Amino acid sequence: MIRTERLTKYFGSTQALKSVSFEIQKGEIVGFLGRNGAGKTTLMRVLTSYLPASSGTVMIDGIDVLKHSLAVRQKIGYLPENPPLYPNMTVRDYIRFAAQLKDVPAKRICAQVDKVLNECYLRNVARKPISTLSKGYQQRVGIAQAIVNDPQILILDEPTNGLDPVQIQRIRELIKNLEEERTVIISTHILSEIEQIAQRVLIIKDGEIVADDTLNNLLCDDQGWRQSLEEVFLRLNQ
Amino acid sequence: MNKIWAITKKELASYFKSPVAYIILIITIAVFNMFFFIIIDSNQEATLRDVFKVMEFLFVFIVPLLTMKTFAEEKASGTMEFLMTTPTKNTEIVLGKYLGSLIFFTLIIALTSMYYFIIEFFGTPDRATALVGYLGVWLEGAMFIAIGLLISSLTRSQIVAAICSYTVLFLLYFSMSFIQYTQGAAEAVVRYVSTLSHAENFAVGLITTADLTYYLSSILFCLILTRISIENRLWR
Ligand SMILES: Nc1ncnc2c1ncn2[C@@H]1O[C@H](COP(=O)(O)OP(=O)(O)OP(=O)(O)O)[C@@H](O)[C@H]1O
Ligand SMILES: [Mg+2]
Repeated sequence: MIRTERLTKYFGSTQALKSVSFEIQKGEIVGFLGRNGAGKTTLMRVLTSYLPASSGTVMIDGIDVLKHSLAVRQKIGYLPENPPLYPNMTVRDYIRFAAQLKDVPAKRICAQVDKVLNECYLRNVARKPISTLSKGYQQRVGIAQAIVNDPQILILDEPTNGLDPVQIQRIRELIKNLEEERTVIISTHILSEIEQIAQRVLIIKDGEIVADDTLNNLLCDDQGWRQSLEEVFLRLNQ
Repeated sequence: MNKIWAITKKELASYFKSPVAYIILIITIAVFNMFFFIIIDSNQEATLRDVFKVMEFLFVFIVPLLTMKTFAEEKASGTMEFLMTTPTKNTEIVLGKYLGSLIFFTLIIALTSMYYFIIEFFGTPDRATALVGYLGVWLEGAMFIAIGLLISSLTRSQIVAAICSYTVLFLLYFSMSFIQYTQGAAEAVVRYVSTLSHAENFAVGLITTADLTYYLSSILFCLILTRISIENRLWR
């Protein structure tokens, strides 16, 4: 579903991605882990065609992201690191606007907006201007925006940032309950979260992939002992 | 098409949800009224010719306030990342935003049409001339907006966008003052670039292809450059 080959990204002289190659199958839930500044956000921006890679290719569903970015963007729901919100809009207006831009057919917009407002527990604030919402609610508006067109691929950059434990639980359920054939990429700093929802983990260090394996394999060390994800993460990032 | 309209509506709504829109509306109308009275009182003629001149001058001040936030704000707040990762063509984004500012600007102009009715009530103005004059100021504003949009697409700071737009519009508007220092080809260029030399004709009721080409081609040119600018993320 998603295949990258030797992706690199330079910002001036700093290299944010160093020859990143991986393949993600349809229906997989993959977690991106890495320290601050490792390059998770940059990698996601390249995958969503927001930033062009300096070299290397990204193929999504067999389509080159750079050459046919519109076709690719149609398949992707993306939650950027800072939820992209218009403070003056009401929650419902904003989600409706997102639905319009994401090619939801005019007849289905209303139903679809109601559906995601329910799924993200935003019904009671639907008429409020976004600027008056608390941080966690704003984050949920960002998530609602990402899923409004039922995208095949969901790319979420720290989706549970600022949510309370109950909401984190609910977002987790939401992601788990997405239909089978959804591909989901999540970045987060909360390791327990990855352990609960991801099947596979990519650990990124200074722009390089240092681990790419299923969660089960990662958590077994050479002698077959169970270790925690935290131990693995700390060992790889020493 | 639907997406262009969705963006236009969003832009218009954002104008009316911020106090800036109302301040601009009130101030322009107040200033226009004052000048209208002074001009009519001193000229004692039933024509809007000089009123149009004042309008054009004031648009140099107003338009940057309208356009400074168009792209700069989206970039600063991160919503540009949202816009550019939805399946929306860059052309649709640019046109949607352009139409939003243009419609708001048209509204300001529409509010000044009462001047025409006032002079029609007291005198016998030439209808065609007045209409052509309105077309002239409208085209001029439309061009200023395209310029402002382009500049806003190049930066993530609204202040920078406003200052640069003011500089460019002032240069365009006052370039005729430099004409005495130029000769030959340079003089022709300055005369062509100056907005004043083109707006003049409209104000007295003349539509020439040269003037129309000047306005329409600069609008098109700026919009295309804006598209290129956001496509290549030139603000980074
Ligand atoms: N627009 C930019 N211009 C210059 N450098 C950038 C830009 N964006 C990111 N970088 C650099 O690229 C590297 C990777 O940044 P990135 O935001 O991808 O990290 P991250 O893994 O998302 O970190 P965090 O966990 O803090 O979100 C950093 O060194 C950062 O300074
Ligand atoms: Mg990040």
